[in-house]
Amino acid sequence: MDFSIRAANLDDCKDIARMIMVSGHVRACVRPNLEQDGFSKNPFFHGIIAEVPEQHRTREGHTKIGYALYFYSYSSFVGRSIYMEDLYVMPEFRGKGVGKALMSKVAQLALAAGCHQLNFTVLDWNKPSMDFYLSQGCFNVTSSLGCHCMRCEGEALEHLAQP
Amino acid sequence: KMEYKLRKAEPRDVSDILRLVKELAKYEEMEHQVTLTEQELLEDGFGDTPFYHCIIAEIQGANSSDEPKVVGFAMYYFTYDPWVGKQLYLEDFYVMDECRGLGIGSEILRHLSNLAMKTRCTGMMFVVAENNEPSVQFYKRRGAEDLSQEEGWRLFRFDKDSLVKMATPPEE
Repeated sequence: MDFSIRAANLDDCKDIARMIMVSGHVRACVRPNLEQDGFSKNPFFHGIIAEVPEQHRTREGHTKIGYALYFYSYSSFVGRSIYMEDLYVMPEFRGKGVGKALMSKVAQLALAAGCHQLNFTVLDWNKPSMDFYLSQGCFNVTSSLGCHCMRCEGEALEHLAQP
Repeated sequence: KMEYKLRKAEPRDVSDILRLVKELAKYEEMEHQVTLTEQELLEDGFGDTPFYHCIIAEIQGANSSDEPKVVGFAMYYFTYDPWVGKQLYLEDFYVMDECRGLGIGSEILRHLSNLAMKTRCTGMMFVVAENNEPSVQFYKRRGAEDLSQEEGWRLFRFDKDSLVKMATPPEE
């Protein structure tokens, strides 16, 4: 199956938002403001899109069938790093190398920017994803080094901010 | 009573930042994994598009003519979750052993939380090693949730070698 991988632009936000909503994110509530957050002067993330030619479009007429969102981060051990926030391919287009191609593009961008590692999180119940990633050569930092992801938000954050 | 102050890191601080990064890594028994250099810290933190930001805690010397000493730091940057928006990510946070118990750590965290709110971040995120009991308790006491435990988040990583392999297109 023919497909292409390219950098996301402002016009892709509708499709990215559509795919975010269907990917069944646990915290799904309001549509994110991708236009403002990703395509203004100081973007908080970057995107790449996987697109198929018209003849392979979905029943609803979509040709944008996968995406990845990433941003630059930093490791106090090795320096420049990249963090892949989202990676998604519509179910009917899986098993055709689209996910691998999206990740390959993220890896190329990471190396071009002088990054030493690519980090991302997977949910422990998502076995197909974990298997896919492990087959691509990564390792599970949480199980090998015992690193737990923590977050302070809402009232706890407000409380911490008080004198 | 030791007086201390917090301030934004400056280019001249890179050697102290690296010293403290290594001290923290040593505490985590991972000091040989630090390959970062002062040059990289300088380019990456103080160029046109910084990859990270740093705040420094320093204490005044015994005499007013003494140079202040850098005794703590926090390294952070901004991340993005499409569902909840901007986050402040705390990469490293450390106070030298001999300066603990003075409230420096709490003050650094208060400063960062305040900064997170001012910059409209909805959360502050970080990783902790599960066997680092004092740190885990320090954060839980302050209301941090363990997303790995509660929601099953697993941090995965591709190191440099596997990144190169992934970036290379397959043979036709």
